Parts: sequence; C-alpha cells; structure tokens
Amino acid sequence: MLTKEQLAALTGLFRHGSDDASHALSKWLGRPARVAIEDIEQVSLSEATEVLGDPEKALCSCAMRLSGRLTGQLMLNFDDASGLALADLLLERPIGASSAWGQIEQSAALETANIIGCAYVNVLARGFRENDAGSHEVVPSPPKFTRDFAEALMQFALMNQAMASDFVFLTRTEFCIEDSPVSCDLLFVPDADCFASLAALLPT
Amino acid sequence: MSPGQPATATGPFAASSRPRAPSVAMGDIAVARNDGVLRTLLGSCLGVALYDRRLKIAGLAHVVLPCALGRDERPGNYPGKYADTAVPAMISRMQELAGDERLKLCAKIAGGANMFNTADASSTIGVQNVQAVQRVLDDLRIPIIARHCGGEQGRKMGLDAATGAVTIDIVGSDTTTL
Repeated sequence: MLTKEQLAALTGLFRHGSDDASHALSKWLGRPARVAIEDIEQVSLSEATEVLGDPEKALCSCAMRLSGRLTGQLMLNFDDASGLALADLLLERPIGASSAWGQIEQSAALETANIIGCAYVNVLARGFRENDAGSHEVVPSPPKFTRDFAEALMQFALMNQAMASDFVFLTRTEFCIEDSPVSCDLLFVPDADCFASLAALLPT
Repeated sequence: MSPGQPATATGPFAASSRPRAPSVAMGDIAVARNDGVLRTLLGSCLGVALYDRRLKIAGLAHVVLPCALGRDERPGNYPGKYADTAVPAMISRMQELAGDERLKLCAKIAGGANMFNTADASSTIGVQNVQAVQRVLDDLRIPIIARHCGGEQGRKMGLDAATGAVTIDIVGSDTTTL
C-alpha cells in the first residue's frame, strides 16, 4: 500500500496526464473536452470491479498494454451511446447516425484511444525518473477493441494486481465533450511489479 | 434451512438488495437451498457451480487464480479467490445446509476467457484456472457434467438452486443453458 504522501505525489502526476489527454481529445475532436471525474485510489478487489458502474452493463473498451518504464493496462471505455456518438462526431455525421459497431465506428474508437492514451502515457513517462540506462520510454501496444460486461472488463484490467494482493491501485479519468452526449473513461491499472515501484520512480 | 429460504451470499455483497439473486463478487462464494438464483460475472475468472439434485443445494464460487501457494487465504474476505481452497470451502458451506445428509455433487464450470486475446503473462490465467479446478474436482471425485469455457468474451453465469440449471449470457448472444 502507498503512504498518503506517496499517493499525493503520484496524484499530481496522474492529474497532469489527464489534463494533457483532455487537450489531445479536444484537438482530435475539434471541440472542448474536460476532465469530469478523476479517481486515483487503492481499493479492494470487490470495490474495483464496480469502478465502471453497473457490473452487468455492456461497455466498449479499447485496451492498450504498456511496456517499458511503466507496465500495465490502459483502457478507454464507453457505453454504446457515447462511443457511437463519438464516431458520429469524428465522421462528421449527425449524432445518432451510427447505430452499430461496424468497422469504421470501431476504428474511430481505437484511434481516439490511441490519441488519448499516448498523451496520458507521455506525461507519465516524462514525470518518472529515467531507468539505469537513462530511458523514460513507455511503449503502448496498438489498442484492441471489445464489447463486454463492465465487470468482465475490470477483471481483465485487475488480474495482474489480483495475483499479488486483495487491494488494487488504479486511476480513472472521465472525459466529457462539450455540447455532445459523449463521455468516456480512461482507466490505468499498473501491473503489480510496476505498482510496487511507482513511488520509487518519482523524482527525488 | 427451510424450503423457500433465500440464497445467502457472504463477503462484500452479503447485503445485496436483491436477496433472490445475490451477486457473487470476485473471489467470493455463495450457497443456496431450494430456490434462488446465484449469479456472477466472469472474464478470465472461473465460475464453479456445484449442485446436489436430491437435496437441491447449490453453491457458486468465483475463482480468480489457480492456487493459493500457501498465501494467507483470508477466508473472511475472499474465500473463493483460489481454486484449490475455494472448492473445499464451498463444499463445507453446502454441507452446513445439508446437515447430516450426505452431499452428492456434480459440477458445471464457466469462464476462463482470454479477453482481448492478449499474449501477456496474465492471459493464460483463464486456462490455468480451468485446469486447477478440474484437478481439485477430480481429486474429490466430483464429475464436471457441463462446461462453457475459453474464448475471448466475458460471461454472466446464473445457477438456479431449484433445478441446478446454469445459464450463460454473453454480450450480443442468446442465453445458453447448461
């Protein structure tokens, strides 16, 4: 478990990451985006599975595996209405035009995940100390799309930390797009090893 | 327990507002007799349903990892977290419902998906969970009479204490009954 001081120090960095991700989302969509909710917390496994809301609700998720200085899962999650509205915005169609997750709608979601995720990760990478080889590098994998129950998605995200502990550390940022029904959650769940060394990665 | 007594869940979801459909959270166990539906949501985790047809006693465990490896099981918190400790703990609770009657159990299992079809270390957990549960059930001579495992999608699993029927829901698909 992190101390209060360590958590506070990490919170500043993760908030900076969310702000940059929000700017990137605004640029990408050409309209203002804002951070509506930001949670950075250590919770029990059972609480963590409800972080995305109703566990039985079907959500769409674009997941990226992080490797390098930080390892873990980074996931951008939408409900259908938000995700399809996002695709409409990007494809310059009237909101409501998209009614199903076709290839082009999935592609819009994946590209958005890539843009937000990279902006977020870049801030974290710069904020942590370099490794012994002088590298800050964090490499996200290409995002993968799926649509599943919220709790099943959370189990996927939490599995690595669950191997080591009954408590998990995670960050969740909810973004809202002005004058649109679009909102999405960016979830970062570090691997157990990465979490154990997070505090040590902070600059002294 | 008397006929019609609702299912009981232990752990973090014990105070569920839906007494006839308790959610079995990650690492938890629930048991029921005569009626009620035990439910859980599964990704790479494995749902293990045990049922005694004569006594109408049902148990459902939400297994997260294959084995405890001597770790503190913290039975008050997550009695179902590990395959090797979850099954005996669940049987013990079912035996409490059975009293002096001898349980005759069969099993149905579901879950163990490799969500996102990833290739990282935790991606094989689903398969390991299935293998571990199979070993434990073999050792206890409990037959697995149905299974719905693997794939890349999560599942909603329900166990009906009245009939032993297990339902599986996958997003975008019709309900399957085991």
